[in-house]
Amino acid sequence: MKIKPSDKEAFSRMGPGILTAQGFLGIDIRSPEEIIAEDEAAFVRLGLDFDQAADELTRLAEEGAKGLGEPIRIGKLLVQSGDARGMLPCPWNDGLFHKTAVSLRPADLPPEACVEGEDMLIYSELSIHLLKVHHFCQGLGSPFRLEPELIAEFLKK
Amino acid sequence: MSQILTGPLAVAGVSTILALVIAILDKFLNNYGDMEVSINSGKKKLTVKGGSPLLGTLAAEGIFVPSACGGRGSCGACKCKVLTDVGPHLPTELPYMIPKEIEQNIRLACQIKVRQNLEIELPEELFSIKKFKAKVESLKDLTYDIKELYLALEDQGIEFQAGQYLQLVVPPYGDITESTQRAYSMSSRPSDKKHVELLIRLVPGGIATTWVHKHLKQGDTVEVVGPFGEFQIHDTPATMICVAGGSGMAPFKSMLHHMHETGAFPEKEIWYFFGARTQKDIFYLDELSKLSSTWPRFHFVPALSEQPTPEEGWQGEVGLITDVLDRYLQGKIDKSKGFEGYLCGSPGMINACINVMKKNAMAEDKIYFDKFA
Repeated sequence: MKIKPSDKEAFSRMGPGILTAQGFLGIDIRSPEEIIAEDEAAFVRLGLDFDQAADELTRLAEEGAKGLGEPIRIGKLLVQSGDARGMLPCPWNDGLFHKTAVSLRPADLPPEACVEGEDMLIYSELSIHLLKVHHFCQGLGSPFRLEPELIAEFLKK
Repeated sequence: MSQILTGPLAVAGVSTILALVIAILDKFLNNYGDMEVSINSGKKKLTVKGGSPLLGTLAAEGIFVPSACGGRGSCGACKCKVLTDVGPHLPTELPYMIPKEIEQNIRLACQIKVRQNLEIELPEELFSIKKFKAKVESLKDLTYDIKELYLALEDQGIEFQAGQYLQLVVPPYGDITESTQRAYSMSSRPSDKKHVELLIRLVPGGIATTWVHKHLKQGDTVEVVGPFGEFQIHDTPATMICVAGGSGMAPFKSMLHHMHETGAFPEKEIWYFFGARTQKDIFYLDELSKLSSTWPRFHFVPALSEQPTPEEGWQGEVGLITDVLDRYLQGKIDKSKGFEGYLCGSPGMINACINVMKKNAMAEDKIYFDKFA
């Protein structure tokens, strides 16, 4: 990945307590450029496309919003779309996004049995933007990390 | 050995000297001295240490402007009018401002710093807001993702109107290095001034809700700030049409118990529509069903959005809460006293309910809501 000055600035804003309390890197010891490069490779390996994945996650969020805050079944998934007050800026400074929280879980598992990042994907408007525009899935351990393997698994359902 | 130690010791020494220089420069360069903040044409005058954001400066003086993000500039809640010229609006403020607010010099208190004497305007009701210390008396699971947090207030009691909310102060925990605050409606009855109850739904990835669900324990001490909000019962004879889902139950539980206990607003009929996905997601069902069977002017309509199996023996309504509401408004509720709408939930749920209410000839200015966003 060729690092531009705007990338360097964005990376400097990804730690906890700068743009968000938790930050974007979780417990990942890799640098943001390594995270992006490795996730790009994972996308190729899994036959995923960043645009298509982002569009599909957006569609699921919109369908989930029809549950009016309660989870609803969409195909084999249980989707819940919620909102919190306020907006979040992108670390690359190219947009502000509503604080939404969408969760995807397999509908055949009891919701309480699902573990974040293992069999449950959580994302926000900002996560989708980061995925689509910057190919940034966030660091391991970040609650909003879009794990490529999990995206591939959920988009098949 | 000494060579191995020399390098790190030299780095540590230089770092210490640099830190000291920065601290000394900061003391002199950023020392604004004492400043005066004059509130509401001098009705309240504060002498404060300059240099810090207005939000925190006011909080240190016991004036709590609502903030859902704890001063991070990501909620847009801490608006106040600043009469002194403190420069143009910052890029961090503009997304939360409509043109009229910019014209009136409404600012985000968390974004502007007290670097000169300031004249500001604040709603008078903010002066009665206090910070309370409280002990977690109980923390119960209502569903797999909703907890009932019951707090015993220490030192002082609280005066509030049913429907108002508190801000729960979330301390640093785990990887979260800064304290933050989140707003939750009180579900307790206003007559119990020594306790407050909050219903908190786990938001995946949410800082405050994760803390409550996974870290907070019975016996812990917490801080809350409040009361805030204008979501209250209106003193008219109009029938209340209340709609909620999930933790949106909170303000209605408080309102219902208050009205039942005190006999307040005796002319009002109350219809309460509560939506959930499955029976496992419904809580307080027995309590509210019992209340509706013993209190003639209260009608409880629970509804499941997912079709239950016959074995579950569900007796209530089935369908999205908006569809159920529509059916009732079309012919099952007496319209003679007129309607008032009371809504609590996600923006999507509130917008959908407003559309159904307007379609059924309810006046938009008689629809009151407490949006989660």
